[in-house]
Amino acid sequence: MSGETVAQADQPTVVERLARAKVRARRLFRFKFFVVWVVLVAGFGVAFWFAGRVDPEFLRVSGPIIILRGVQITILLCLSSIVLATILAVLGALGRLSTNAYINGVASLYVSVVRGTPLLVQILFIYFGLPQLGIVLPAIPAGIIALSFNYGAYMTEIFRAGIQAVPPGQREAAAALGMPEHLIMRRIVLPQAIRIVVPAIGNEFIAMLKDSALVSVIAVQELLWWAQRLGRSALQPMTGLLLAAVVYWILTMAFSLLQERLERRLARSDR
Amino acid sequence: MTIRARAALLLAPLLVLTACAAPAASPTMAPATQAPATQAPMTEAPMTEAPMTEAPMTETPATSTPAAEPDGHLARILEADTIIAFTDPAYPPQSFLNEETGDYEGFDIDVTLEIAERLGVSNVEFTTPSFDLVVAGNWADRFDMAVGSVTITEPRREVLDFTQPYYFTPAQLATHPDAGITDIAGFAGETICVGEATTYLDWLEGTLQLPAEAGEVADPPEGVVSTTLPTDLDCATAWQSGRFEFNGWLTAQPTAQAAIDEAFPVVLVGDPVFFEPLAVVFDGSVEDNDSLVAEVDRILGEMHADGTLTELSEKWYDGLDLTSQ
Repeated sequence: MSGETVAQADQPTVVERLARAKVRARRLFRFKFFVVWVVLVAGFGVAFWFAGRVDPEFLRVSGPIIILRGVQITILLCLSSIVLATILAVLGALGRLSTNAYINGVASLYVSVVRGTPLLVQILFIYFGLPQLGIVLPAIPAGIIALSFNYGAYMTEIFRAGIQAVPPGQREAAAALGMPEHLIMRRIVLPQAIRIVVPAIGNEFIAMLKDSALVSVIAVQELLWWAQRLGRSALQPMTGLLLAAVVYWILTMAFSLLQERLERRLARSDR
Repeated sequence: MTIRARAALLLAPLLVLTACAAPAASPTMAPATQAPATQAPMTEAPMTEAPMTEAPMTETPATSTPAAEPDGHLARILEADTIIAFTDPAYPPQSFLNEETGDYEGFDIDVTLEIAERLGVSNVEFTTPSFDLVVAGNWADRFDMAVGSVTITEPRREVLDFTQPYYFTPAQLATHPDAGITDIAGFAGETICVGEATTYLDWLEGTLQLPAEAGEVADPPEGVVSTTLPTDLDCATAWQSGRFEFNGWLTAQPTAQAAIDEAFPVVLVGDPVFFEPLAVVFDGSVEDNDSLVAEVDRILGEMHADGTLTELSEKWYDGLDLTSQ
């Protein structure tokens, strides 16, 4: 990407000097950026520490339990839910684009109801509502279903937009070659649509990491549950919450980095 | 491309399957490892004393004899050899998590384990939905029993089945040091913070109906307003973090005392305003609960009589015996 310069003599050319200045400016920018982060984060840390809201003993003794047991369940929840939600979203998007009135109706109702009701209400419904139909799922599967059901609806719209964003010429060309309708969708449109929606799915996943905290009300012992219960048990609720916040933040940063890499990889074919 | 896509499609259900399989194992582990340690010293007591003390201490429904033939819900529990019990480990010293191991601990936990032991059930699974869902009834078969320091009140009888009380806690008013409130009358016109769906909220709103055995209930101060936070301790946490929208806190005395011991800005005000009879509860919407309620009620009578409950109370409440008023 960076400018390839043609070295002709010992003297650096104008182009070379410009390129070096650019690199230096970029490094300086990164350095300043880094300093701002360190200073602000350290400042918040010190402020909390001296306000007496952080108990180092609690962090030492209970911190590892919160992180080990909580993060495990949170990630399990989110990975399973994003996979299920993606499947739901592809089906939902195909339904929303379907010319069959029944299928389109069902898919549209699903999106409308789920996007029109609070996630917390849906979680409680799945936990207490499904058993009344004779389906008693343990807490974690109930949480996974609630999260994927909810995110599937939002992602339906993302996939629908992605499918519609594939240039119509692609579809026409495939049709002109005599490809049947279902193959056009599977081989031509969906692969291109998926590349378009990957950044958006990454965003949804990161949002889900945090929304998964809501399922702690239905006995799913994820990160926030452990932080709150151990915090209250040790009468250090603020320390527990602060630790949970830091861990959620680190998790989202890690997954943002992963997402960036994935995007860069998928963007290769654009060049 | 297509091979990879197919592999992904195969992997997806696998991931979901492992997710569904994992939880079944994890919740059972914590209590199982804990059970032998806490129960060992207590199991011997009933053997020697139980026969002599058949008659329960407090007035009990006509069920002092052991249920002849387990049926209904009780039979299902015995057959599964597993009882699923509610607890919310956010209330030290009743129910909390061990700081170092993350295991369940506390008075309610020990009582749960002892009841299971005397029922002859070898596995106890704890589940932890929020407390307001428990007192609302209709547990949808998610758990069998709650030893969650639930107060017996008349309205709750419509959705829950209660045993006799297993202990009593004093309901205590408290304030923060800067409020300048020194007696209960001083709370007139003040806002008082309580946990969601608690009897403390009922008392403030004038809707508390305790059974006769609860004894005297003081009147709430004039013109008090209530505000709720998810759990009792959140009220003290609000003061600790510098929020003073309310000057009062009504909670169980041991909870307030624990907060004071941890240097929360809390001071107790006056005598307890009422004593709560706390009982083991069952979902009232389950049709065939009768023999289960009767059997647990009988076990509690036995635990009162042979001193097990007193022993546990003294263990968790700093030597206090809260098992009678």
